[in-house]
Amino acid sequence: MSKIVILGAGISGHVAASHLRRKLDKTHEVIVVSPNSNYQWIPSNIWVGIGRMKSKEILFPLAPLYKKKGIGFKQAKVTSFYPEGDSETEKPFVVAEYVSAEKKGETERITYDYLINATGPKLNFEATEGLNPGTNKTYSVCTYTHADHANEGLQALIAEMKKGKEAKIVIGTGHAKATCQGAAFEYILNVEQELRRQKVRDKAKITWISNEYELGDFGMDGMLLSYGSNIMKSHEMVEMVFEDRNIDWILGAGVNKIENGLAHYETLTGEYKTIEYDFAMLIPSFSGHGFKAFDKDNNDITEKLFKGFMIVDADYAPKPYEDWTVQDWPETYQNPSYKNIFAPGIAFAPPHSISKPRKSPNGTDIFPSPPRTGMPSGITAKLVADNIIDSIKNNTESLHHKGSMGNMGAACIASAGFGMTKGSGVSITTFPIVPDYKKYPDTMGRKLGKTFGEIGLAGHWLKLMLHYAFIYKAKMKPFWYLIPE
Amino acid sequence: MTQRISKFKRFVMMNPIIQFFKFIFLSLKVLIIVAGGHGGTREVHK
Repeated sequence: MSKIVILGAGISGHVAASHLRRKLDKTHEVIVVSPNSNYQWIPSNIWVGIGRMKSKEILFPLAPLYKKKGIGFKQAKVTSFYPEGDSETEKPFVVAEYVSAEKKGETERITYDYLINATGPKLNFEATEGLNPGTNKTYSVCTYTHADHANEGLQALIAEMKKGKEAKIVIGTGHAKATCQGAAFEYILNVEQELRRQKVRDKAKITWISNEYELGDFGMDGMLLSYGSNIMKSHEMVEMVFEDRNIDWILGAGVNKIENGLAHYETLTGEYKTIEYDFAMLIPSFSGHGFKAFDKDNNDITEKLFKGFMIVDADYAPKPYEDWTVQDWPETYQNPSYKNIFAPGIAFAPPHSISKPRKSPNGTDIFPSPPRTGMPSGITAKLVADNIIDSIKNNTESLHHKGSMGNMGAACIASAGFGMTKGSGVSITTFPIVPDYKKYPDTMGRKLGKTFGEIGLAGHWLKLMLHYAFIYKAKMKPFWYLIPE
Repeated sequence: MTQRISKFKRFVMMNPIIQFFKFIFLSLKVLIIVAGGHGGTREVHK
């Protein structure tokens, strides 16, 4: 009988655990190891960050659900990997340190037959000097606690603006190689609408700051999309929205230092500049968690498992941008050295960025890292779970389920303001996520029709519907599995 | 501020009745794209 250990209980880890538990009988063990006691639906954090949703509406405790469904749960963080076991333990295992109050500090060797590393990213705030959410007038919406702090900061500023204060607001990326521009894009539009709703919009100067070369890059090299009966580039669409909402923008900016109300950044032209603000929300860079791995003789084999994030079946050979292909991207998320280890979602090391790499004359890389947010995280986690299920049931390795980001669509329903009648959303779908310039040479690597944009109230309703649908799914309520990833 | 979205377009974007039908259309379109499948890339190009 098999024991499957899943590290992480975010979108990816939770999806994998849910499907494994549903499809495998109870003789097989499914165990989730996560330092977080709650599941959170991260895409709704932007609404928590403007006070239009309470954080309790986007989260629920994991332990009761896992107990009810027969999934083991250890509230602990993994520190090291022993994929060959060691002299004391024959089976492969991970070392985890408990963070729950009753067992805090205790360590445990957790053995496994299959390991799914769904630990996502480390929010690498320390990579930018002074970037620490809740300090220096700078906030984040990456977690629900960060989003709560951001809302407190925003509401305090709005209260001052109602008394006549003129305010400067800066939202975007807080590092030269940050990703997740989509979340910042949603947040800036929601903040702008919230200021209008509270009748202080005229008191605010709002600026988008980003490491993108063009607006609408979103870490995906931009896109050509259908917009109504027109075909337009994503930068034209975002430019239209920003101009219409009176939002300024600074592009090609690598933020490198934060002081109280002051962001220092370097531009792609090599200049060093600063921007002042009264409130900023800056997305940090993401990094791996710094895990260590050892073989059975206790030799360090970290480089066999990790390249920052976990090594999977991607082509990591360095090559110039012009030679990148969709075939570089992984299909099964299996570690090539240890076939029983997988890394779906954000935990896998991408072969390279999707956006074109750019350097300032000073040698600083300033371009977005590749995004691998909600939808691809769920899809890749499910296909990893399905391959493990097939392998267990057939008693032989099965990698039948594949899902390259070069052959996968994604929907980005970006909120542009909250409200059942006053809300708005920018709905963008893209196929494939990683542009396939050979297959779609005339449409910037994407299939038109499947890559489209829409702006309007329906987008808000759609995002709200997805919020409730995915929380229903995550709670594993009746027929949850019929809702696609 | 530069008005980049016409009054008519804005009316279409915010009209609940028009947007209800748009919502149905968008939901189906997103579902088709998202649930429309995914796969590998390496064999396709061999």
